[in-house]
Amino acid sequence: MSNEIDIKNKIKANSSLFTNFVKNAVNASPKVQNNFLDVSAQVALTVQKILEDANLVTNLEYKGKDFWSENKCKTACFIDGGVDKTSIISSAPLSIRTGSYIVKPDAADKNREFFEESMVFLGDLYDPKNELYDFAEDDFDEDQMLNKKKDGARIIFEAVTIVKHILLNRKFDYCFLHGPIEATVMPFTVMGFPTFTKFAVENMLPFYNKNKLNAEARHFINVYLEALNSIKKSKFPTYGIVETSNSAPYIKNLLYSYKSKGTISEKDFKNTLSTIKKYKITDSHLLEIILQSGQAIKPLEVKKQIKGFSVTSGSAWEDKMDSFPSVHIGYIKVNDHSAPIRIESLNQSKNLIKDYEYILATARLLPNYGFPVGLNVVDKFAKIPNWMSKASRKYYATHLLKQAIRSKDQNTISLAVKILSKKVRSWRNRPLGGLAR
Amino acid sequence: MNTKKWKSIGTVLGETNISEFYFSLKNYKAKKGDIITTESKIPSSEGNVVPVTVWGKISSIESSNAFFPTEAAQELTNENIDIRDTILPTTRDELICKVIILGFTLKDNLKLMPLNYPVRPAATVSYPSSEDVEALLISDLDSEHPLFIGSLLARDAVKIKIDADNLVSRHVSIFGMSGSGKTVMVRRIMDELLQKKYPMVVLDIHGDYLGFIQKQKKLYPNNQVKLFYPNLSVSSDDKEIIYTLIDKLGNSLTDPQKDFLSSLLEKVKYEGGSLLKYIELLVRKAREYASDSSKSFKNIRPASMYVVVRSLGQVAKKLKNMEQTNFRHRQKMSKLKFEELPDAATEPEKIVNKGQLSILYLKGYENLPASAIVSILLENLFKHRQEVEEEIPPFLTIIEEAHNFIPSRSEDKDNLPSVDTIRKVITEGRKFGTGVMIISQRPSRLDETIASQCNSQIVFRMVNQKDQRATTRDSETLSVDDSKQLPNLANGQGIISGQVVNFSLPVQIKFDAELINDDIGNENFITAVENWDDKESVKQRKKFAKDFSNITSIDKRRAN
Repeated sequence: MSNEIDIKNKIKANSSLFTNFVKNAVNASPKVQNNFLDVSAQVALTVQKILEDANLVTNLEYKGKDFWSENKCKTACFIDGGVDKTSIISSAPLSIRTGSYIVKPDAADKNREFFEESMVFLGDLYDPKNELYDFAEDDFDEDQMLNKKKDGARIIFEAVTIVKHILLNRKFDYCFLHGPIEATVMPFTVMGFPTFTKFAVENMLPFYNKNKLNAEARHFINVYLEALNSIKKSKFPTYGIVETSNSAPYIKNLLYSYKSKGTISEKDFKNTLSTIKKYKITDSHLLEIILQSGQAIKPLEVKKQIKGFSVTSGSAWEDKMDSFPSVHIGYIKVNDHSAPIRIESLNQSKNLIKDYEYILATARLLPNYGFPVGLNVVDKFAKIPNWMSKASRKYYATHLLKQAIRSKDQNTISLAVKILSKKVRSWRNRPLGGLAR
Repeated sequence: MNTKKWKSIGTVLGETNISEFYFSLKNYKAKKGDIITTESKIPSSEGNVVPVTVWGKISSIESSNAFFPTEAAQELTNENIDIRDTILPTTRDELICKVIILGFTLKDNLKLMPLNYPVRPAATVSYPSSEDVEALLISDLDSEHPLFIGSLLARDAVKIKIDADNLVSRHVSIFGMSGSGKTVMVRRIMDELLQKKYPMVVLDIHGDYLGFIQKQKKLYPNNQVKLFYPNLSVSSDDKEIIYTLIDKLGNSLTDPQKDFLSSLLEKVKYEGGSLLKYIELLVRKAREYASDSSKSFKNIRPASMYVVVRSLGQVAKKLKNMEQTNFRHRQKMSKLKFEELPDAATEPEKIVNKGQLSILYLKGYENLPASAIVSILLENLFKHRQEVEEEIPPFLTIIEEAHNFIPSRSEDKDNLPSVDTIRKVITEGRKFGTGVMIISQRPSRLDETIASQCNSQIVFRMVNQKDQRATTRDSETLSVDDSKQLPNLANGQGIISGQVVNFSLPVQIKFDAELINDDIGNENFITAVENWDDKESVKQRKKFAKDFSNITSIDKRRAN
């Protein structure tokens, strides 16, 4: 009972879960609030027992000065992508790049750290001659897929950046990616999702299927799988690190493994999963209150690409999704006041605790944020700054208007003005006074 | 000027205008105060586009490391971690410089012209060679008589010269804290003007310029350097000084007492000359009138007359004391030849002459008498310059500790006689060649009208904000950025602005060690005490003091 009270107190004191709790409180009655608290506490208590039973919780050691003194000889690479999703009706400009921050603390000044712009694309996705994606026949499809294409480009660029380092035979002790090491590919399995251009694939994966780069081979699913398989074979440990988890893959898989062993009944498993879903309980929520600062959860092997959804069902890609590598997911709680960070890798590390301690140490360098500082650094480096996005938007707007004015057609000019003032209603696009005739 | 040889040191950032721009600087490639250039294009009056070189001065530099999170510093400190052991980036410092645009030059013409079209963003910023910077400064100064004063603060190799013609005619103020380099600067200018045989009159309160007398033969064999001590004088037609002296140095008088003093001044005839002798004469005469029961002054009681006698006596005593103090100081410098200040009305050429430096040593005199001395001296010299028959050449007056002679109205000392005189000299000085150089450590305490007449400023380290504000208030060319720099200047570093240079320049003044007065030397009192030995009289006193003390100690009788 005391454990339960302890957990309830933790929920109240806990930042992200408490925010969720408050959100509920705004909309719901006191009864519902209490119920949310009770459910969260009960699930946490149960999960805590299972974690202890499976011996999955581990204490990490961190002695700041000594740790860095011993580990300054290690080379670490941090990777992140930055996208400018400038939006204008008439065009689909995309600026995307991935950056790598490579650092070996004890190297001499000029060799100590490198900032590399590893992959870059600047272009317009509505341009049939763009070098990234093949152009869809149907304009409607092209428009519908726009956001997916941008996401797909970012995901593939980040993965390919790791591959590039592998191909260059870089001698890293660690490689970290800001975000999941393996993204869910389901959104890209929809009909009509365009393939990458031959030029793009040749540039991204020069070793891939050299003789036969047909449309199927150039589809996101195949290219991404190829990249992941290459990453899996990497000689250096590579981790994807996620700030907060919006789902509960770890808890669900943990419960699943206990169900498989027969420790949990099928009914209890299903009911608990249903509760987790209904109450939107995530790994972050639960582990934030279960784990202490400096504790980690050892990884579980999880299949990220789950088939059987309506989108993928019957799709040609359903079988392919099965061939994606499974992901090892663990968590580290860096400090008392932030949610645990999710650590993903394609391989089970031989030096798991050492690796986790390295991640913890890099995250402790941001004592409040609690996220590996190298990823924070590369995030700032790769980010497309506002002034650049603004300039690009300005350029597109000016170009559009100039073209319209050049046409001397009143309707075209009027359309251009409307397009440009789509979001912020401008004076020129104001409603006209008087009665409509 | 070979611009191709200039090193590229940065890139102009985003938004620019015609007065300033920012640029990103390569590490360690330039400093604050450096002169830099960028190539640009401007529309000409003929409608063409003309390539130009834009010149600017780095007025501030800011450094930041966008990749170094603030909270990481907290962890490094708490855990005593060396940043170089961690993965934190240490080499991504970003340096942003603010540049004040000085103007542009055309190819093969080094005359700076005001920029009227913004510089190009993303243009390369270059570091011109020292020779080219110096050539630009000299060419732009366009001076017939340049005076060398030091080097550009950020670059030793760039020699800085200022324009002597503007300096001696349009007045200059030199401000800075005590020990910041004002006197070093004045000595430098004096040295240069002596080479040009330009006459100077220095009002020296502390004896800072006596080194010129000592080194005259060696350094200035072709000049005359005269050292004067003051002679308080009064003219027959201007006896106003007596009222002021009584007001400041004596007892304040009631109306009947003032009436008596006025009548006394009218009755007692004096053809002009020593002020002290005149006051002594007045005392004698006033005593006579008081003792003969006021035959001449029926309405004034003798008691009132005696008050005036006492007051005049006090003034005379104080003046004598000051004279004696000044005399004692002179005695200490027995190797130096002091002369009594000649009468500027009748013998101005003895004070102002071609190639002559006249130093008036005022040590020991209080403000008012010193002000009276200066007022009479300058009034007379100025008159000679005003006359059609000019008896003396143009000259420069150097006023040390100027707040003693031209205090601000807020100091409540504006009745000092020197204020009006200097105001007149400085206002009309340009016409008559009577330039003034005012030196002070407290510009906020100076008369605003006089300070604002100085068309050039040389400002040294200054921490007091009131003084900083006064400095920028009185200057048309000293920018706010320049004034921000003032507290951080080191000794001998100053900012020169105004007509002597055209645009403000941070300068390291050349230190002339040989011009220090050996007799006064540094204020090294610790060494003085270490070498201290009692004088003979003190030794004797100490010797007998013990015996007398013994007598006192055995005397047990009660006093009657």
